[in-house]
Amino acid sequence: MNNHFAKTELSKKQKLVLYGSIGVILAGAPLIMPNNYWLRIYTMSGLYVMLALGLNVVAGFAGILDMAYVAFFGIGGYTFALLSSSQFNIHLPFLLVLPIAAFISMGFGFALGSTSMRLKGDYLAIVTLAFAQIFKLMLLNLDRPVNITGGVNGIYNLDPINILGFKLVSPVPYSYLIWFSAIIVITGSFRIKRSRYGRGWQAIREDELAAESMGVNTAWMKLMAFAGGAFIAGATGALFASFQDSVFPNNFDFPQLVIIYCMVILGGLGNIVGVILGAILLSILPEFLREYGAYRMMSYGLILIVLMALRPQGIMGEIRFLVKGRRRPDKDESGLLRSSTELYYEEKEQAIEKHRKRYSKGDRIILELKNVTQNFGGLKAVDNLSLKLFEKEVLSIIGPNGAGKTTLFNLVSGIYSPSSGYILFEGSDIAGLRPHKVVKTGIARTFQNLRLFSTMSVLDNAKVAQFCRTKCGPLSILLHLPIYWKEEAQTETRVREVLGLFGARLTGYRFDQQAISLSFANRRRLEIARAISTNAKVLMLDEPSAGMNPQETIEITNFIKSLRDVYGYTIIMIEHKLNVVKTVSDRVIALDYGKKIAEGNYEEVASNKQVIEAYLGRKGH
Amino acid sequence: MDVYLQQLPQQLVNGLTIGGVYALIAIGYTMVYGILFMLNFAHGEVYMIGGFAGWWVLNLLSRNNVPIMNAAIVISLMLIIAMAVTGLLGMMIERFAYRPLRKAPRLNLLLSALGVSIFLQNLVLNYQGAEIRFFHVSSLIPESIRVFHIGNVVLSFTRILVILVTFLLMALLTVMVKKTKVGKAMRATAQDTEAATFMGIDVDRIIVLVFLVGSALGGAAGTLVGLLFTQVDYYVGFQAGLKGFTAAVLGGIGNIFGAMMGGIILGLVEALATTFFPSAYKDVVAFVILILVLIFRPWGLMGEKIPEKV
Repeated sequence: MNNHFAKTELSKKQKLVLYGSIGVILAGAPLIMPNNYWLRIYTMSGLYVMLALGLNVVAGFAGILDMAYVAFFGIGGYTFALLSSSQFNIHLPFLLVLPIAAFISMGFGFALGSTSMRLKGDYLAIVTLAFAQIFKLMLLNLDRPVNITGGVNGIYNLDPINILGFKLVSPVPYSYLIWFSAIIVITGSFRIKRSRYGRGWQAIREDELAAESMGVNTAWMKLMAFAGGAFIAGATGALFASFQDSVFPNNFDFPQLVIIYCMVILGGLGNIVGVILGAILLSILPEFLREYGAYRMMSYGLILIVLMALRPQGIMGEIRFLVKGRRRPDKDESGLLRSSTELYYEEKEQAIEKHRKRYSKGDRIILELKNVTQNFGGLKAVDNLSLKLFEKEVLSIIGPNGAGKTTLFNLVSGIYSPSSGYILFEGSDIAGLRPHKVVKTGIARTFQNLRLFSTMSVLDNAKVAQFCRTKCGPLSILLHLPIYWKEEAQTETRVREVLGLFGARLTGYRFDQQAISLSFANRRRLEIARAISTNAKVLMLDEPSAGMNPQETIEITNFIKSLRDVYGYTIIMIEHKLNVVKTVSDRVIALDYGKKIAEGNYEEVASNKQVIEAYLGRKGH
Repeated sequence: MDVYLQQLPQQLVNGLTIGGVYALIAIGYTMVYGILFMLNFAHGEVYMIGGFAGWWVLNLLSRNNVPIMNAAIVISLMLIIAMAVTGLLGMMIERFAYRPLRKAPRLNLLLSALGVSIFLQNLVLNYQGAEIRFFHVSSLIPESIRVFHIGNVVLSFTRILVILVTFLLMALLTVMVKKTKVGKAMRATAQDTEAATFMGIDVDRIIVLVFLVGSALGGAAGTLVGLLFTQVDYYVGFQAGLKGFTAAVLGGIGNIFGAMMGGIILGLVEALATTFFPSAYKDVVAFVILILVLIFRPWGLMGEKIPEKV
């Protein structure tokens, strides 16, 4: 059965050929360059590949418009220049200065990021742009009263690179060094993109609130992207300074930033192969325009405008065969359509097997709201509400529109923090916790109007939910330490197990389909699957059957029932279809104007006078 | 301290002048933001081209750097043509760079705006070169009214002109937004674009109009600064754009009257800063203010968290 899930990746042999030919090209290229001029362009394109990939982490992976990127490049360059030149007569060895430059740059990234990360897109862009301007003005003006940066004249005559006694003075070894570093950055980019970090960033880019509600620590992840980009920029800056043998404020100015952005956007934000090609292309092509020197920047501007209007996904956007396998996801190796029904029945039998286990409502209180109030200006969306949820219970919340049902969910899941009152989960107060922390305690939710990560695959959507259950950091990911492999395997197994609950609806070839290409009902199912994948004990389902036809409604009703009966989940559900409520609920609570107006089993609540009035209005006298 | 006190009236006048210019630029940002929720990055370049347009008119109407007409006519023509050129330019930018992206993610809009900015800047670089172009103001304005002394405050004619024109333009804009039917449509569109459409307002036309008016004011600012500092080059738009945006943010972005106040406050703060810091750090002060305001009071200095837009 496992071959159904075989990843559409290159075979070992293909990989060997690919890596081999890249190696040969990189080893041979500097030797066949016609002259030093072209060798220089070759080396510069290596630097640009690194720069573009660093920006790709911030702008591409995480979707943050970082305008200070070029300043971090400059911080790296100037750090190198100050620590290994006659400016202050400090001559540290290269292998020490390189990490120092990268870490100092990252430190600045951290500082700037932590103060400004809560700003929205445009504002963040402006703050970072202002930072870059301040940086440049400092470079220009810090030559008086004490000469630190050298002002307009910059700093020149840097120490030659000396790696363990081997001095780099001629251009060819330089090109090897820089492309070697570029390969490290490229490998790192691929590794981080495929990891929990990559998925977390992509989720943030698609829908930040949903990512946070699925357990991704969005603030931290954005900061990591920002600092990570600064780190790469800083290291590249050091290499650049050494390569150019000097640094000037102009090297780190706004036009440079635009060039790097053009490279990333031409290649497609987030697309590593595309960005590499974009960087190489835009390092070489303008050389043919050299006679029309001044048109170069103009053409960069045009590239941005035209790409945004016609092809915002970049040149590589939809050329999938280079990035993924050539196969269609619904066909197997021999080109036959992969059957998923077979799998469905296999799973069905297992499910019946499991049906022997039966759970029902317990006596222990798992979630309790005490006098919770939520004010929006003058409006009390939730008014002094108290409720109890028992272990392994199915509790339905009903009420007319505007009764405060979804607000209640938002309060529990941490999207709002209540104006007053307590929310106790297994005895500890979770009111006011950030959503990702609430998820970690064991409560996950779905959204009324579907907030899936649209362009991510079904599998990846569910994998994002495992973010809060894994913890390997950037270092383990970049070095592929054992913990990384262990956690990836764990994520993979868990996610397939959960999706398997839905049978053919979400498994088989659907694993690799984008969420957006699923049918509406399947998207609803994926929302639930994603919530389950967080390993939650309590599921909060916001109108799970909305928009489904009668057949699908019956299916989802039975499924929700089995979630409790067979798998032992505690469920709190908002639902308008009373048939669904009737079939699955142990208890029902009716809300109106943020207040509890009735509580009890379905019949009691359905016959309650106040509830009928809330839905139908008061009878005329 | 005495020295500072003596300088104070002069710095206040300087601050008021440049603040008026910042206000004019800020209005363009704030009007566009109020409706499209986008930062029109290219606005600084529009300002720069306004400066060049004024310079070009001045040269056209001069022989050997001596104007061939009455100074009042020359200055009026400079302003009118600069505003016409930039107004048109603003409309074209909207049509070709922003309208195709109306439904795209905001990041894309911002990047397109960045592209327009870089394109325009280098377009001017190509045709005008990198050298500074001078406005020969000394031969334009008769010597008898060129400079006034009031106490120890030096008040040049151009400075008075800038203050008068900026306040006149701002008054006109206020009347337009508050009193006319078009102004009402603009305010409605800023409040809720969709609802405005349902009420029969042609939102596309309002957006074009916003770009026209905002850019024309930016262009006027360009020419006024050209007259004040007697020079323009292809790179002035970048800094001026950032300053204008700072002013817009100070006043609460989306709020026209806030932008006016924000501009004047920024101008005053900058002028006062030059008495305490070396003038090279004047811009640093402005950008530090921008960062601090955006981080701590992103809804602007002047009050309400949700500003009245446009």
